[in-house]
Amino acid sequence: MRKQVRLTIDDRQITAPAGTLIVNAAKQIGIDIPVFCYHPKMEPVGMCRMCLVEVGRPIIDRNTGQPVLEDGQPKIQFGPKLETACTTPVSEGMVVRGMSEKAKAGQNEIVEFLLTSHPLDCPICDKGGECPLQNLTMEHGPGKSRFLYDEKFHLEKRVPLGDLIFLDRERCIQCARCIRFQDEIAGEPVIGFYNRGRATDIVTYTDPGFDSVFSGNTTDICPVGALTTSDFRFGARTWELKSTASVCGQCPVGCNIVFNTRREAKADGRIVIKRVMPRQNEQVNEIWLCDKGRFAYHYTENGARLSRPLVKKNGKLEASSWDEAAAIAGGKLRSADGEVVVLASGRLSNEDLFNLKSLADGLGGKALLYTQMGGGDLTARFGVGAGTNFGEMGAGTTILVAASDLYNEAPVWHLRVKGAAKRGATVIVANGRETKLDAFAKYVVRYAYGDEVETINGLQQKEKIGEAITSAENLVVLFGSDGLGLNGTSNLAAACAELVQGRAGKPNNGLIGVWPKANDQGAWEIGFRPTDDLSSELKGKTVYVVAADPAGDDPQLAAALKEAKFVIAQELFQTATADLADVVLPAQAYTERDGSFTSGERRAQRFYAAVPAFGESQADYAITALVADAAGVELADSAGQVFENLVVTVEAFAGLTYEILAETAEQWPVVGRGDMYYGGTTYENTRGLGAHLVGWGERGETASRPRVQEETELRPKEGQWLAVPVTKLYDQGLTVRSSKLLESHIGAATVTLHPEAAKRLGAGAGELVEISLNGTTAQVSVLLDETVSASVALLPRGMGLPISGPVVAGLKKV
Amino acid sequence: MAHIILRHRDIPELNTLPVYQRNGGFAAFKKAVTGMKPEEVTAVVKNSGLRGRGGAGFPTGMKWGFMDNNNWPHYVVANADESEPGTFKDREIMEGNPFQFLEGVAIASYAVGANAAYVYLRGEFWQVAAFLDQKIEEMEQAGFLGDKLFGTDYSLRIYTHLGAGAYICGEETALLESIEGKRGQPRLRPPFPPSFGLYGKPTVVNNVETLTNVPLILENDADWYKSLGTADSAGVKVFSLSGRVKKPGNYELPFGTTFRELIYTHGGGIIDDRPVKGIMAAGASSSIIVADEKALDTPMDYASVRTLGGDLGSASVIVLDDTIGIDWVVNKTIHFFKHESCGKCTPCREGNYWMQHLTERIHSGQGDASDVELLNSVARQMQGKCLCALGEFATMAVVTGIERFPEDFSVKTRV
Amino acid sequence: MLKELGRGLLTTFKMLLEGPVTTSYPEEKREVRPRFRGRHVLKRYDNGLEKCIGCSLCAAACPADAIFVEASENTDEERYSPGERYASTYEINMLRCIYCGFCEDACPTEAVVLGDNYELSFTDRHDAIYTKDLLLEPASEGRPTTPQTVEPGVYTRSVPQMENPKD
Repeated sequence: MRKQVRLTIDDRQITAPAGTLIVNAAKQIGIDIPVFCYHPKMEPVGMCRMCLVEVGRPIIDRNTGQPVLEDGQPKIQFGPKLETACTTPVSEGMVVRGMSEKAKAGQNEIVEFLLTSHPLDCPICDKGGECPLQNLTMEHGPGKSRFLYDEKFHLEKRVPLGDLIFLDRERCIQCARCIRFQDEIAGEPVIGFYNRGRATDIVTYTDPGFDSVFSGNTTDICPVGALTTSDFRFGARTWELKSTASVCGQCPVGCNIVFNTRREAKADGRIVIKRVMPRQNEQVNEIWLCDKGRFAYHYTENGARLSRPLVKKNGKLEASSWDEAAAIAGGKLRSADGEVVVLASGRLSNEDLFNLKSLADGLGGKALLYTQMGGGDLTARFGVGAGTNFGEMGAGTTILVAASDLYNEAPVWHLRVKGAAKRGATVIVANGRETKLDAFAKYVVRYAYGDEVETINGLQQKEKIGEAITSAENLVVLFGSDGLGLNGTSNLAAACAELVQGRAGKPNNGLIGVWPKANDQGAWEIGFRPTDDLSSELKGKTVYVVAADPAGDDPQLAAALKEAKFVIAQELFQTATADLADVVLPAQAYTERDGSFTSGERRAQRFYAAVPAFGESQADYAITALVADAAGVELADSAGQVFENLVVTVEAFAGLTYEILAETAEQWPVVGRGDMYYGGTTYENTRGLGAHLVGWGERGETASRPRVQEETELRPKEGQWLAVPVTKLYDQGLTVRSSKLLESHIGAATVTLHPEAAKRLGAGAGELVEISLNGTTAQVSVLLDETVSASVALLPRGMGLPISGPVVAGLKKV
Repeated sequence: MAHIILRHRDIPELNTLPVYQRNGGFAAFKKAVTGMKPEEVTAVVKNSGLRGRGGAGFPTGMKWGFMDNNNWPHYVVANADESEPGTFKDREIMEGNPFQFLEGVAIASYAVGANAAYVYLRGEFWQVAAFLDQKIEEMEQAGFLGDKLFGTDYSLRIYTHLGAGAYICGEETALLESIEGKRGQPRLRPPFPPSFGLYGKPTVVNNVETLTNVPLILENDADWYKSLGTADSAGVKVFSLSGRVKKPGNYELPFGTTFRELIYTHGGGIIDDRPVKGIMAAGASSSIIVADEKALDTPMDYASVRTLGGDLGSASVIVLDDTIGIDWVVNKTIHFFKHESCGKCTPCREGNYWMQHLTERIHSGQGDASDVELLNSVARQMQGKCLCALGEFATMAVVTGIERFPEDFSVKTRV
Repeated sequence: MLKELGRGLLTTFKMLLEGPVTTSYPEEKREVRPRFRGRHVLKRYDNGLEKCIGCSLCAAACPADAIFVEASENTDEERYSPGERYASTYEINMLRCIYCGFCEDACPTEAVVLGDNYELSFTDRHDAIYTKDLLLEPASEGRPTTPQTVEPGVYTRSVPQMENPKD
């Protein structure tokens, strides 16, 4: 622990660790020293000069080394100049005056300087109402301007830095928070300053502009309205918005968010989501959010959503009532005589999954998880312990990222692992190709696709890497499905689990699955299991498909569904699976209802209903209860009750209640209160930090288990390619594609090849090639990547091609 | 008296290696490397009383002594970003007496244990840079630079680095940023370069003229150097004289020479023999000294100039006669500083922009008395708040001009 | 007695000769006072552009929560107001309005003005909601209405100065 020093700030005595900056020491006791450029998550730069305070230090007698006393008190000498509180560390006996006339005058004068260039167009500014400059002008600004309005510097007001972020050059106060965020925290320095003096300007270095998935965060920390999102641009005034706490449902990180909602005339008077803002949870997402989480929510408001139950009559789906649809579905399930398959995905909440599992159990059927990634049984046993926090990891911690492209699969984990690396943690990346995390890793292990398990098993034998793993104080292993299917990931998970099995259950130690869906971990905990032969499981059964579109993903599964006895589809949209279904049940989006998700770190977190339900749709757990009732199984139909049942049934959830999940605690840095200027516009967490599931690690179980055999030989012959699935952040998935904003980021299907291999094929970058795999052929455009091996073709998942695991494929030039 | 810095004025072709060597060249460097410990070199420089010639006047030997010896490697950087309006001494030194300067760099490097030294030149000095590159190559061929010098284990290489044309890069931390390839903007201080400098390593940044003194100090000794100049300001100084004088140019004189001697004896007096009105002793960033009889008789050393409410700085003496309106001078300097403000800190970025509007208005006769008052207030508002010294410098001419030459501002303004 | 009667009749006859104090509303309408606060009008500049920039400050100031504003972005091809933002929806519920004039005070562009129209009656609650097309004053004679197609780069200032919206 660092040495504590005593000091006085505005007549209040405090102790703080040596090295703490004055501004933070003051904040900790509730004294706000105004800042613009300083941000508690970033290194101080002292540029804006807003935090000027008077700093006095005790006079030390050179001979004795003791403070000079005056009336029994140490004599304090104040410097002739004001000092910046954001760059000055506290020292023993220091006296800080932030409210003195001199300090106030200094602060007021800086605000006056800033306002000489600022356009003062608050009435039309999206930041108006939550703007640090506006707030500090109210407090420090001059009542009357001494600067002639005609002499204002006018600059362009509508500069798209990228397609998601707009810059207003006039409003910018050159604090560099955005630039520093991209550089220090995101590790993607894609924007920077251009020119100097008053002409200093923010520009983007990339094409397409502002090419980073963390770009939205810059708008949160921008202390003026210079950076705005194209999503919220002129969308509403901030004080008109209602905020509802939620959890992002896009990936297993489980970022805490807030939905800002408002009634809209444009939306026919409905209450709609105007924007998504991060909500502070220092253990999960700190105060950050990726752009997918921020901008992909539009699918929930898509007018094409299912609004009424549909029942197939004379071969056609026709609108029906809930009573009829539930009766038919329930009747068919009851009469299936146990030949029931409930197929659900991790997009659903814990409550939904629990009710579905209970229904399957009640009917003697199977509860199958629709996923291409295995190993959840192992993460349930060897998952990270309660209190795990990437934000606290540093020297002494080793983080192994195996077969995962965190930047695309779970961007905020990428950001946090990168942060841990910066603080001294040893990051090891093992992958078959280059990923963005490589740049921050201490060791990069490159393997040939197919050798994942051998590679992980061999890590401990390597000299330095082995040392880093075995002697680490803390060890976290993240494994993903980059280049792997269900069997591959199951085997990989077992190999990874062996590395951590002695440590599981301890904070900052254990296994984390980088799942494709937000609540896959919860599904595993509740008892859902995937199967490697889904087709044969579906044939001839009564199938209840929830939040999954097997028919749309894979023609083979579509064929299998056609052979099913009866299909009930419960969805947001009329998917290909719903087209094949006999009964279609319209579900609510998670923005419309209460519930909870379990993150990849095994943290259960609550979300709350933000907007009214679309049409007649109902919450998934309630629909299941309705159907179950008709099938003769009794289930709870309110989120709270379902969770209570879940807690007593599933051991991992034991002891949890909604109240516990809603508990909050003081977090550092303090954000989201009146002082927007300190932490930005991220919301304070008032609705729950969530809670960790019960750990199993202490039982001393071992991880090893028989390896699952790969079905096909994955050595491509001459003229063939090994097609390997990878994850693309913005894919054509149901929860992304209907966001118009992200259209250009989603694009069309691609295949990534080594330049030499592409040359052999006769195809250049951007050209179309025909790919045939798993019985389908499609045209995709070529991307080149030198780090891909010669006979490998990387295919992004969720882009219309049926690829669930590595497979031999044929490629030819169109 | 023979020149110490501008020796090329006494010795023709001193900028060629054979001539420089014939005149005792590199003897000091060899003496240091082969016969002295680095601490001894530093001690000699410290005892000589040599102070930085870039403007701040910080004792050079003390600066060298601050180098953090727990953090390696060390670097030496010569600041040749001579951008102060009215300063033109370093260019003459580098062109006329390059080897003495480079030898100074080499000795400084040895004293602080640096194996690499950089000469940072302003972008407009590309010809000088090419010239220095040639000289450095000659030194390498002659065995004065490179590996295992003079048969010892000491190695040194000197590199030139061109800036991109920013005044602010004369500020030592902005200069270091610029060498690192970043935007030329000053860093926060502390930490100071001797503990956290180039690439985060301990670095000594010295002005060209400062380093050019070093070989002769080492060759003669500290006391010899101390005997020149005054008690407070040891040695000689190259004064860059410009403005309304008949013979502007560089004059190497001992510290303590009076303004009168510089202007009238060396500079040949004022054009058209008009009276001197004001003196800017440190280029555009200086206070404007009222050139009364007392001021003219003031010896030019760091302490004495301060008694006049000015600073000697880099000793770039700009002489203003009674044909010059101080409002014009102020307008001119503010235009310069507005153009050169790097934009990093608010008071300098916004204040200079604001002041430029005001000085423009006042100078063109469009302003009124309240504009002068406002200008003064804005300048004072900037003082003590800026991140680096540039912002402070920008206000000097404004504040002192308005205070000491009020009539120049009242004549122009409408009442 | 007669005297009193006569005095009373005198008043009657006197009144007979004077004109009536009432007006025959609605045929005849009384002029309102200069500071009268009647139904709102959304003003235009002389060039036909709307003054309202959709800032919603009137709605924020309204103590009766009677105003609803939704903004959109101007383009030079389809320009409603100077600057970047305009009100794509502007509604006032006249049943809620208490005619306090706070909206007028809050308006940074003097776009919303309480006019002299006091003739408000409704047979349906929904009719009491005045939409933007009802509130917006017509463009002055010979001037284009909105949206307009304008030269790029002319109307760049969001909160224009009152005299000249180009500034």
